[in-house]
Amino acid sequence: MSTVVKRVLLTLLLLQLSSLAVFAAIRLSGGDVTAARLPASATAEDRELFREQIGLNQPILTQYVDYLGKVVRGDLGNSLTNNAKISTLAVEKIRNSLILGGAAIVLVFGIGIPLGMLAAFRRNTWLDTSISSAAVAGMAIPNFWLALLVVWLFSSTLGWFPPAGAGGFKYLVLPALVLAAEGIALTVRMTRSAMLENVGQDFVRTLRAAGLSESRVYFKHVLRNSLLPIISLAGLRVGQIIGYALVVETIFGWPGVGQILVNGVLRRDYPIVQFFSLLLVIVVTLGNLAASVGYTLANPRLRK
Amino acid sequence: MTTPLLEVSDLSVGLRAGGVAYDIVRNVSLTVDQNEILAIVGESGCGKSLTALSILQLHASPPLQITGGSVVYGGSDLVRKTKKEMRGIRGSEIAMIFQDPMSALDPMFTIGSVLVSAVRAHQDVSKDVAEKIALEALADAGIEDPRRRFAEYPFQLSGGVSQRAMIALALVNSPKLIIADEPTTALDVTVQAQILDRLRALKNERGMSIMLITHNLGVVASVADRMAVMYAGEVVEMGAVSDVFAKPQHPYTTGLLGAVPRLGAGASDLVPIPGRVPQPDELPAGCTFADRCSRVVDSCRATRPDITVRGRVQVRCFNPVS
Ligand SMILES: Nc1ncnc2c1ncn2[C@@H]1O[C@H](COP(=O)(O)OP(=O)(O)OP(=O)(O)O)[C@@H](O)[C@H]1O
Ligand SMILES: [Mg+2]
Repeated sequence: MSTVVKRVLLTLLLLQLSSLAVFAAIRLSGGDVTAARLPASATAEDRELFREQIGLNQPILTQYVDYLGKVVRGDLGNSLTNNAKISTLAVEKIRNSLILGGAAIVLVFGIGIPLGMLAAFRRNTWLDTSISSAAVAGMAIPNFWLALLVVWLFSSTLGWFPPAGAGGFKYLVLPALVLAAEGIALTVRMTRSAMLENVGQDFVRTLRAAGLSESRVYFKHVLRNSLLPIISLAGLRVGQIIGYALVVETIFGWPGVGQILVNGVLRRDYPIVQFFSLLLVIVVTLGNLAASVGYTLANPRLRK
Repeated sequence: MTTPLLEVSDLSVGLRAGGVAYDIVRNVSLTVDQNEILAIVGESGCGKSLTALSILQLHASPPLQITGGSVVYGGSDLVRKTKKEMRGIRGSEIAMIFQDPMSALDPMFTIGSVLVSAVRAHQDVSKDVAEKIALEALADAGIEDPRRRFAEYPFQLSGGVSQRAMIALALVNSPKLIIADEPTTALDVTVQAQILDRLRALKNERGMSIMLITHNLGVVASVADRMAVMYAGEVVEMGAVSDVFAKPQHPYTTGLLGAVPRLGAGASDLVPIPGRVPQPDELPAGCTFADRCSRVVDSCRATRPDITVRGRVQVRCFNPVS
């Protein structure tokens, strides 16, 4: 069996299992699904009736098979909270999250790689020390704490950016920065150490002996060799951004997948949780797939 | 006598790092004439590579630095050149070939793209012209199918072809001198012979010079015109290969040659001499070879001998053989 087929089958199995896990976990985690939908004055019978209506009294496995059947037919169900169609909700939430997540990924690599290169090129100077210390700080500060810090500084104190909400570019800056912070820090460190490792390789001496300029040697040859480990861990970076999006979207009131998922869990809105968490699993899987394809393309040994 | 192509005078290279300061290469003087092959021989760690690298200022600096002497090429001292000036000389005037061709080529780029970069580092030509020059260099280096190799990555090449690619890289800007640091040590014996033949042919075809670093006295005997014997960072004997082989004067050279059949008869690696080479940070006050020398006299331990002309060769010894 070819590796591609194997990989696709494994991915499908992973999706199946994780959907089952989510399905069971949210139902077994207690809490009251009726609290969000029915008024506080609703009687115990009213609540029981509601459960009956949406099929919650069935055994979990029956519910799951029922749910899978609907999903396969393209029916994602409705929110229990406001009865909105999930397929309609999804379009907007996914768009918002793609904007935020995409911006974060651009920042992770667009800032992380150049800063790491610069630190390596100017190693053991004040510039390297500053960049490297900032990177250590970036990894050490939890992102919810960083979120509070940037809101206090750039929004409450300086008034440059709105503290929360969605809208134009202005609203994107702070959450994207917070979401990307740890990834930037990790990428800076990885780039720096990969560059420093590669600059000691024999081939660098060969290129210098051939009369290539130092910047050519560094920014073409050493960089190209240093990108491989960064690409191979890009899938991890994507996964990390998705995980952090739950926190960051909630803090900044960014109406995306993370926010609706967190709210869904809090309100025990089962269909919402089921769909959006599965979506995240799919995105993480695709991220890893893209990274491994990228790695293959970037490595002449594997490409040939 | 014409002026030499390269004249290294009294060159010292040392380690200078956090409280440590000692020289590894000490007072090395040697010349490479036009259109000749100068061999440099000596045991592992005696400073052959460091001497070669410091000529092009490719030594790891810091912690290593040139601590004295001069390297005169084309009428000016390379030691005093700026980084930019040195970049202009590397590859175009003096090129270098390294020992392990597999790790010496960038794994991420095709042979052709590196050659083209090297051409364009020195010559203001279009990509097409650079490509033509690169293909010619590959052919000159003895590569059978230059077009195919041009598009290949280092991992697709055998050791011998990689080393030819390295030679092509050295040739591509038509330098007057190639420094080859053990260019065949990592290769099979048959390939070794082919590579050496090619280098010798290039010397004749192009009228250039080669500084050939090697462990192998058979190689010296078969390809070199002159030779310098190094021991513990110093040149201890230098002269025409025929003179040194016929009548070695330094006791170290005698020891090296002792077990080797005469000119031409089979190649053999350096034979170890009893005792230990002193490390660069624990050199004795006198002659570095005194502790292992069978001809040691009192003055050997008291003062360091200078290298002096004796007959047709130069020797650094108070009590030379004959
Ligand atoms: N970057 C460096 N830092 C410190 N010491 C070094 C460095 N490079 C070389 N040396 C020392 O310089 C000495 C000479 O090394 P060199 O590589 O020139 O020897 P060599 O004669 O070429 O040996 P071989 O035949 O093994 O290649 C060795 O003692 C080595 O440990
Ligand atoms: Mg060496």
